Amino acid sequence: MKAIEILGLKKSYEKTLALNGVNLSIKEGEFFGLLGPNGAGKTTTINILTGLVFREEGSTLVFGKDTVKDFRFTRSKIGIAAQELSVDWFFSIEKLLYFQAGYYGLSKKVAKKRIEDLLIRLDLQKKKDSRLRQLSGGMKRRFQLAKALVHDPDIIILDEPTAGVDVELRRSLWKYLKDLHATGKTILLTTHYIEEAEKLCENVAIIDEGKILKEGSPKKLTQELGSSGITIHLNENKQNLNTVLADYSFTLDQDRLHFSVKDSDLAMPKIIQTLSNNNITIQSVEATSSSLEDVFLDLTGKDINK
Amino acid sequence: MNWIGFYTLVNREVGRFFSVYRQTVLPGLISSALYILIFGFTLEQRISEIDGVSYTWYILPGLIMMNTLSNATANTSSSMLQMKLLQQLPDLLTAPLSGIEISLAYIIGGTIRGMVNGILVLFLGVLISGLPVQNIFGTLLFIFLVSWAFSSMGLVLGQLAENWDQMAMMQNFFLTPLSFLGGIFYSIKMLPEWAQTLSLINPIYYMINGIRHTILGIGDSSLFISFSMAIILTFFFTILSVLLMQSGKKIKV
Repeated sequence: MKAIEILGLKKSYEKTLALNGVNLSIKEGEFFGLLGPNGAGKTTTINILTGLVFREEGSTLVFGKDTVKDFRFTRSKIGIAAQELSVDWFFSIEKLLYFQAGYYGLSKKVAKKRIEDLLIRLDLQKKKDSRLRQLSGGMKRRFQLAKALVHDPDIIILDEPTAGVDVELRRSLWKYLKDLHATGKTILLTTHYIEEAEKLCENVAIIDEGKILKEGSPKKLTQELGSSGITIHLNENKQNLNTVLADYSFTLDQDRLHFSVKDSDLAMPKIIQTLSNNNITIQSVEATSSSLEDVFLDLTGKDINK
Repeated sequence: MNWIGFYTLVNREVGRFFSVYRQTVLPGLISSALYILIFGFTLEQRISEIDGVSYTWYILPGLIMMNTLSNATANTSSSMLQMKLLQQLPDLLTAPLSGIEISLAYIIGGTIRGMVNGILVLFLGVLISGLPVQNIFGTLLFIFLVSWAFSSMGLVLGQLAENWDQMAMMQNFFLTPLSFLGGIFYSIKMLPEWAQTLSLINPIYYMINGIRHTILGIGDSSLFISFSMAIILTFFFTILSVLLMQSGKKIKV
């Protein structure tokens, strides 16, 4: 059974085309990643699924039912943790979870058990009487997740769930998501963290400029590409790298240069030579196997983090 | 119908204003007490009776109405705008709640705040000045209808406003002047003829005189016309707010 099916989805905001015929199919129980840079169309896609954005063309189905016509059914199946953190001045986080459960039709009695359990599992028990503004960034992210899970949805949609959180929390959230997936939940994750997609997702779709460019398991995509990566650490970040390395596909993160190449044995000496000729000092060089980062770079010519 | 979801949202809206009762309930009582003391008791020495009742009693129905409608409007408008600006609205819009359920839950929340404030000022009037209430059922019905109508109007304003400035503009340039010009402190018979005619297009004039009829048995407009006007406003703004919520204007893209 397909948990989510999107066909020919189009959407534009004034003159900007946000989605240009997106097709996606996610099986029940699958951990699926929608991978793309900011502005690629990830959030628009999930907002159409959940009813926050009107679709213009195409269809969006959840367990075979239309998300507009059968919105009560489809929305009750989905729990969403939005990227934007909300603020509330009036109620404790426990009370907010009761409200959230109520919106989904859960009686207080049923909600009580789930909320107690979620507060413990997400380590928010001690903060249950606090207001949202009193929580740290990481706690707010965990609260966001608790809100998405409070009605025990079959599909969990997480929009950049680890954006802006520290490494430790990111890893603990990853573990929690893996555990959830093991219970049979379908998870749709949008991210621009390559590592997150590689570690968690069974299948990913690469989206850019409102179009799905490639879909498959991270392993299949990297194998298909057949290319490999070269990572070079520089002593300093040079300003003219784009001109010097115009012939190569690469990403630059501070002093870390990452190249996606077909044959690293052939390309490495040439790259080192080019850098040396331009008086750019190299600290270390490392040949790596292809990653989703390389797949993305190869497909779009862009750095996913930009 | 998602009854639990609907009830939860009503509960949230009511809980929201009760949790800050110092901002939402007490100010209306204090300002009404001041109006009674300063305008009522002071001017009563200089102004003879209007339509056979003391000046303090004359202004009290208007004060009740002003508190009722301003609080009903403020509840829905501020709650909706706040939810929009603080990113809380997506929680509602992604839940299995229809536009009509969301609108009606908001309207009921605002209606309850309007009624609580109106009834408290009524009590205050009875307590301080011994205000006689001729028709308590009619008075409560008026407070209810006006609360509902203006709560619906507030929801429309909250959904359409993009910031607090726009909201304050509606409150300061329309609602407050129309309330004061609706005859809280005077009978329109005291005005020049052109101003009397102008007053007739102010819907709040009918609300104030309607409740004045039910409490004191006097008023510039007939009770029937005032009651009809309250019913028309209630239906008009309820339908408008539900349709607007269903359209998703300014809350969905």
